[in-house]
Amino acid sequence: MIILLLLIVPVITAIACVFTKKHGISKYISIAGSFIALVYNIYLNYNIYTYKTLQGFNYFFYVDALTILTTQIVTIVAFAAALYSAGYMEVELHDCRISEKKLQWYYFLMHMFIFTMLLVCVINNLGVMWVAIEGTTLATTFLVGFYNKKQHQEAAWKYIILCTVGITLALFGVILTYHSAKGVLGEIGYALNWSDLRTVADKFEPHLMKLAFLFILVGYGTKAGLAPMHTWLPDAHSQAPSPISALFSGVLINCSMYGIIRYHILTSKCVGSDYSCTLLMIFGLVSVIVSIPFILVQKDYKRLLAFSSVEHIGFIALGIGFGGMYSVYGAELHTFNHAVTKSLLFFCAGNLFLKYKTTEMENIKGVIKTLPVTGTILAIGVFAITGTPPFNIFVSEFLVLADGFHSGNLFTIVFTCILIVCITLIFVGFIYNMYRMIFGTPTGDVPKGETSKFTIAAMLFLLFFVLIISFYVPPLLREVLRNIYDIVRNA
Amino acid sequence: MTQQIIVNSRTIDILAVLMLITTIILIGTSRLRTCIWAYACRSFMLTLASGLIAYFSGIHHIYITTGISLALKVIVIPGFLFYIVKKINIKKEVESYINYTLSLILACGIILIAYYSTQNIIQFENTFMRHCLPIALSITLLGFFVMISRKQAITHILGLITMEDGMFFAALSTSYGMPLIVELGLFFDILVSVIIMGIYVYRIKESFDTIDTDSLRELRE
Repeated sequence: MIILLLLIVPVITAIACVFTKKHGISKYISIAGSFIALVYNIYLNYNIYTYKTLQGFNYFFYVDALTILTTQIVTIVAFAAALYSAGYMEVELHDCRISEKKLQWYYFLMHMFIFTMLLVCVINNLGVMWVAIEGTTLATTFLVGFYNKKQHQEAAWKYIILCTVGITLALFGVILTYHSAKGVLGEIGYALNWSDLRTVADKFEPHLMKLAFLFILVGYGTKAGLAPMHTWLPDAHSQAPSPISALFSGVLINCSMYGIIRYHILTSKCVGSDYSCTLLMIFGLVSVIVSIPFILVQKDYKRLLAFSSVEHIGFIALGIGFGGMYSVYGAELHTFNHAVTKSLLFFCAGNLFLKYKTTEMENIKGVIKTLPVTGTILAIGVFAITGTPPFNIFVSEFLVLADGFHSGNLFTIVFTCILIVCITLIFVGFIYNMYRMIFGTPTGDVPKGETSKFTIAAMLFLLFFVLIISFYVPPLLREVLRNIYDIVRNA
Repeated sequence: MTQQIIVNSRTIDILAVLMLITTIILIGTSRLRTCIWAYACRSFMLTLASGLIAYFSGIHHIYITTGISLALKVIVIPGFLFYIVKKINIKKEVESYINYTLSLILACGIILIAYYSTQNIIQFENTFMRHCLPIALSITLLGFFVMISRKQAITHILGLITMEDGMFFAALSTSYGMPLIVELGLFFDILVSVIIMGIYVYRIKESFDTIDTDSLRELRE
């Protein structure tokens, strides 16, 4: 029951928003709804801290540390995005780029999107999880094509076609898992419940399980943005409205990664961890390498951030693939860090777009003089996302890299060395591109001053998490991360 | 009992082969309306097979999915596609990057690959419905092939639902379908995704004046 409440809140918010005509009211409903979800999730987090796992409706819902980390990220970024949307959409409304009628649907779809992501996390049945992941695609297609110009339609079309094909391939993985589970558990309805599968995974047919994991990795990997299935990601992330881009980059790709990790645990238990770990490492490294050239020569700042997401999801896959205590801990911490930092950067990008009405980096100069607050936060965010000490991403990247060297496995050490070179190149690309934009003398006649108070509030809220993790990991989070290692490792 | 299972399995095998043939029609034909008819026929055979499996296995929830599948895949989705075709008034026929003769030869290759790659899995199967898994995989891969070889947006939708049919048949033949709640969710997802894609086909036609996906060239590095 207590888990169901978490799901009901976004649905009620969505329905309330679709019936509210005035943006002046619906923005507060949206903020209040996501704030309740955020607070409620912290309460669940304390429960997990005490009881380790929770279940609801006869194991229909199942919550453990891995779930709670992902839902925590979802609710934090969702609250920030709701806060940010209030300011962002107010300006868009004022400039007559959208109508109030369209905004009703905007808030409805946004909260349904949040609902489907929370559902992916708390559901125990792997089949329903598949349905929910497909549901995230369906809820967001209209958000990607929100402005409904040529380029938005193209992005939305690419997004729905590529993601649906990917997810359909993943369905084959689900079917194979179900088939092998049925051989062990017999003809019963809960043969797809993860909590049950986990206890009997070692009796599955290894050949089937290997094939299933491959299909799952390719299928959910498409949604997660792992290369070479990432081609929809830069288009969708750059064409969606900025608050939605933040939700995409911050949490959607983590939700798909969450699905992959669930299967990774089952597969490791069935055929040993080498198989799935190696696959995760290879896909992860390819993603990091593929993103480099696009970051180095990028002209569009939103696409730059999108390719950086490909890099970071690759890094998370690598961290899980290394499989050591510190690398799994680091990878999950990285998930949190990347979510807050990348969302923060997309918020900055949104503010730039509102001010300059362009996404070309060469047309923007001297942000720090024109937009003092956004400029400062953007500078901090850029240094944080590239893994510069002392910021949060540095902490998690350092943990993963250190564990890569510490593993003593030659294969892993080679991977770690390549990874360090890649991260350095990406750092160079990012700083080179962003430096010219943030500093320098402003050109043109763009008036000075920030656009909206709500957007600044949302950015400060996320900046708080970026800075606090840089210096101190709160005990609640530390305990959750440690439990995740137990879940992944203990298998 | 054994005799009966062999007879049943033959009937379903025949249906499976018919499904494969309708999928090949999808690849070999240039008329869009024929393609949609082929899809409706295949869905009908799939429904028939699923009804038979429900009857022979005595698992009642398969009847429910059979009913929904009849309503959705045989009537609603083809009807919706016909509506879209009529509404956007497509004059050009299906265009392909690969000509039809070559497509058919490649399709044969894909079926061979599907048979070859499932041999390892089939060793662990019971003899019941031995041919269904390779055919299900062939249908899925052929759907995938349609998606990558055709230019028109509406053919992409057809390819996608073909893939989903293949998956549905795979689930049915390996493990008598998925649990009911999963099947219901699946149907919901298919319906909503086809509707959203239909809307986007319409919008793309409005703003690009074509549904040739080659013309989607706004977003490039």
